[in-house]
Amino acid sequence: MDRYNKPNNIGRYGEFGGMYVSETLMPLLLELNESYKKIKKDKKFQSELRDLFNNYVGRPSPLFYAANITKYLKGPKVYFKRDELNHTGAHKINNCLGQILLAKKMGKTRIIAETGAGQHGVATATVCALFGLECHIYMGAKDIIRQKPNVFRMKLLGANIIPVEIGSKSLKDAMNEALRDWIKNVRDTFYIIGSTAGPHPYPQMVRDFQSIIGKEARKQILSIEKKLPDFLIACVGGGSNAMGLFYPFLNDKKVKIIGVEAAGKGSKTNLTAATMTAGTPGILHGSYSYVLQNNDGQIKEAHSISAGLDYPGVGPEHSYLKKNKLAEYHGITDKEALKAFQLCSKLEGIIPALEPSHALAYLFKAFKNKHKNKILILNLCGRGDKDLFTAAKEIGFDTDE
Amino acid sequence: MNNLDKLPKKNILSLFMTCGFPSLNQSKKIFENIQKNKPEIIEFGLPFSDPMADGQVIQKSNKMALDNGLTTKQSLNLIKLISKNKGKTSYVVMCYLNTILNFGIKNFVNSCKGFVDGIIIVDLPYEEETEIKFELEKNNIYLIKLISPMTNAKRSKKLLRNSNGFIYYISSTGITGTNKLNYREINKNVKTLKKITDTPILVGFGVKTKKDVLIINTKTQADGVIVGSAMIQMFFDLNNNLKKYIRSLDRYIKSLKIN
Repeated sequence: MDRYNKPNNIGRYGEFGGMYVSETLMPLLLELNESYKKIKKDKKFQSELRDLFNNYVGRPSPLFYAANITKYLKGPKVYFKRDELNHTGAHKINNCLGQILLAKKMGKTRIIAETGAGQHGVATATVCALFGLECHIYMGAKDIIRQKPNVFRMKLLGANIIPVEIGSKSLKDAMNEALRDWIKNVRDTFYIIGSTAGPHPYPQMVRDFQSIIGKEARKQILSIEKKLPDFLIACVGGGSNAMGLFYPFLNDKKVKIIGVEAAGKGSKTNLTAATMTAGTPGILHGSYSYVLQNNDGQIKEAHSISAGLDYPGVGPEHSYLKKNKLAEYHGITDKEALKAFQLCSKLEGIIPALEPSHALAYLFKAFKNKHKNKILILNLCGRGDKDLFTAAKEIGFDTDE
Repeated sequence: MNNLDKLPKKNILSLFMTCGFPSLNQSKKIFENIQKNKPEIIEFGLPFSDPMADGQVIQKSNKMALDNGLTTKQSLNLIKLISKNKGKTSYVVMCYLNTILNFGIKNFVNSCKGFVDGIIIVDLPYEEETEIKFELEKNNIYLIKLISPMTNAKRSKKLLRNSNGFIYYISSTGITGTNKLNYREINKNVKTLKKITDTPILVGFGVKTKKDVLIINTKTQADGVIVGSAMIQMFFDLNNNLKKYIRSLDRYIKSLKIN
């Protein structure tokens, strides 16, 4: 088979992807695509980004042998790719640095972004502070209440938070509002999208910037184990941390790739965010991919305990990987994720974010006493500080006392 | 025969209204009133949960309709019902692509056949239109093109080759019903488009008052206007009182008419 080479020049991953936006945005996206194609090959851009990765983010992130979990599982040898140690506490910063450098090169002076859990908002506010650019973050009114510590962080970093009061008041509505802002202010504004979703070239751009995760992991595992891993596991909301880990391994046919979605209260219920298990192909935010929708094509609200996975769409490349069986996707419920959150904390002394807790839960569920002598890498894409209050409430621990 | 081929040369008035807003029954009364005023074009908006190219007023109207359980099938039936008194008025459906994909392209076009003259698919760019355009052409329904101030002359030429019906010129880089009008810029851009196409050019986004309508028709080379959000906002301004609303709407439409 040929080497993996998606997307094509119009942003297609097989039938998925594309650019489904109004004519006010279309010329902008075409311009962005041209700029990105040019700039990504630029040596100066690459070295600037590398320098920021090394000295601002703290890359490369370690590949940690999780000996206690390995012992507990009696299954594969488990490694954590520790992007939770990055500056700002998650993988989101990798992409924000790439996009803000691009924005600078394109002469844009105003940055906008959407955020759900607040991690992408914090990362965007951080890079805006670093580069001295005006920053506006759209955030659902519901999420502002759920994620107070991150709202304060963004304010400290100098960002203007714009509460979104319409629709379901969460991530998808924040993204609608950010797109509206962009349409209104196309000339001076750069929209930093935080996931591998949205119209082309965003899914490709975000994947490319996040692929540093997989590139490092590949090099690290080859140096430690002298061979490639047998399994990769990552959680999938919009899918940026997962694409970042998976992409550099897509030509390695023997590496089995597993994405874990948030099933919420269960993928057969209405309270779910398991887009690829419970959804059907459709268009959301400018891209054709799996979405949670009713029979009439109206987009449903998603539900997950993890605000970062609480999105009714998924990046088009994941839809392609699923359809062509290059990766498999499974759902993990709120309850299972919460249990894994606690187990990982106790066993390894690492408090994970609720997002990778879904990947951990799948690991505990599917690999116990199985796949001995195999090697597995799990993307620990964020740390749990931001989730302490949510988790405490669910577990029944009173944080007020 | 397509009514859009018989549009007058000047002062074309196109009125946009959300289907099923605020409820299916009330919507029928609103459209009957709009039809009674015989505008050149009525645009029937199909509600979508995530109308990202529209402003908050239209989104609010979409949500009200959807919260009342409106389906695409019901919207299309409503349009068909209103079309009994269609006369010379052109009927245009305005929607998002996901609505059509879920209904099935062929099924959707078939369901519009005979009473719909044109379709505007807000989030379907030129680059993705081939399949739908083919189906529409087979059934004598025109795919109406949107042009924005961001569309340069080279791209406009490409988009407007073989254009039919009318051109929807987006007056500002904004969303429906927001920014103030900049007549000078509109005229400059419309002039450029006039060199490219003979298809009538209608200006939409932010057209609200009788004065807006007059200025666009007299001070620019545009062939007419599209009014939408302002008609919906009026409903909320009247505290959702349908009786008062229909009376005001009637007066408002009459004030906008030049032809």
